Amino acid sequence: MAKKSSHDHPEKMPTWKSDFPIKEEQVTHVGRREFAKFLGLLSGTLALGNGVIVIKALAFPAKPLEGEHFVCNADEVAVGEMFQFEIAGSKVIPYILIHLEENVWRAFEQKCTHLTCAVRYRKDLGKIECPCHHGFFSADTGEVLQGPPPRPLPRLEVVIRDGKVYVREEKQDQTV
Amino acid sequence: MSDFRRSQNEAHPNKTNTLMTAIIVLLILFVGIQIWFLFGALNNALQGNIYFAVTTFIGSFLLALASLWLLRYLPDPLKKSSGKKK
Repeated sequence: MAKKSSHDHPEKMPTWKSDFPIKEEQVTHVGRREFAKFLGLLSGTLALGNGVIVIKALAFPAKPLEGEHFVCNADEVAVGEMFQFEIAGSKVIPYILIHLEENVWRAFEQKCTHLTCAVRYRKDLGKIECPCHHGFFSADTGEVLQGPPPRPLPRLEVVIRDGKVYVREEKQDQTV
Repeated sequence: MSDFRRSQNEAHPNKTNTLMTAIIVLLILFVGIQIWFLFGALNNALQGNIYFAVTTFIGSFLLALASLWLLRYLPDPLKKSSGKKK
């Protein structure tokens, strides 16, 4: 009855209620129909995201390193030590040079394949460590030994000529 | 006056619920597979495996089409009940 009388006499309704005659539940309630439509939209967005990955890979492929790059003199890095260097191309990429043993050198990209933290060579362990999330890579091959990194460290070929250290793109094809 | 649609709805009162649940479950399944594809494509494309990225994109695109097509079968809101109240 009370409802009916308020309906009959709209002048008794508070001003705010006549200005916004929508119930809060109606506004905040997400129906199953809306949820299903949202899932459809999400599905389209995910397909679009997958397309962006393809376009990026096809239109902007990772270019191989061209030519040889001088790093340092061989006598500057003692056995078991690590040397950091950068190669500037379309973007500057940091690398590490490791003097593993006498006449055994390795060069890897310094960015961890997990979340691109800077990795370092641990002489005491004989491994490359990512200190952020305790990921470990083999200092010999760059393969993942432990932790969250999903891929091995990108590797460069080291060439020693006239007591100088050069790096270049590795020729062997790595099939995964 | 009763028509076919009204008789159908009255004979099977749970039909809308069943349809809606089936559509939402299917949509969640499609979106789940697409997330899996996207994750795999990201990892594989970074590794230089472009074919995986292309394959997952085709799969994801087809699933998106299927999702949008499924939305056509969303049951209409029951207008008669709101009409009855008035």
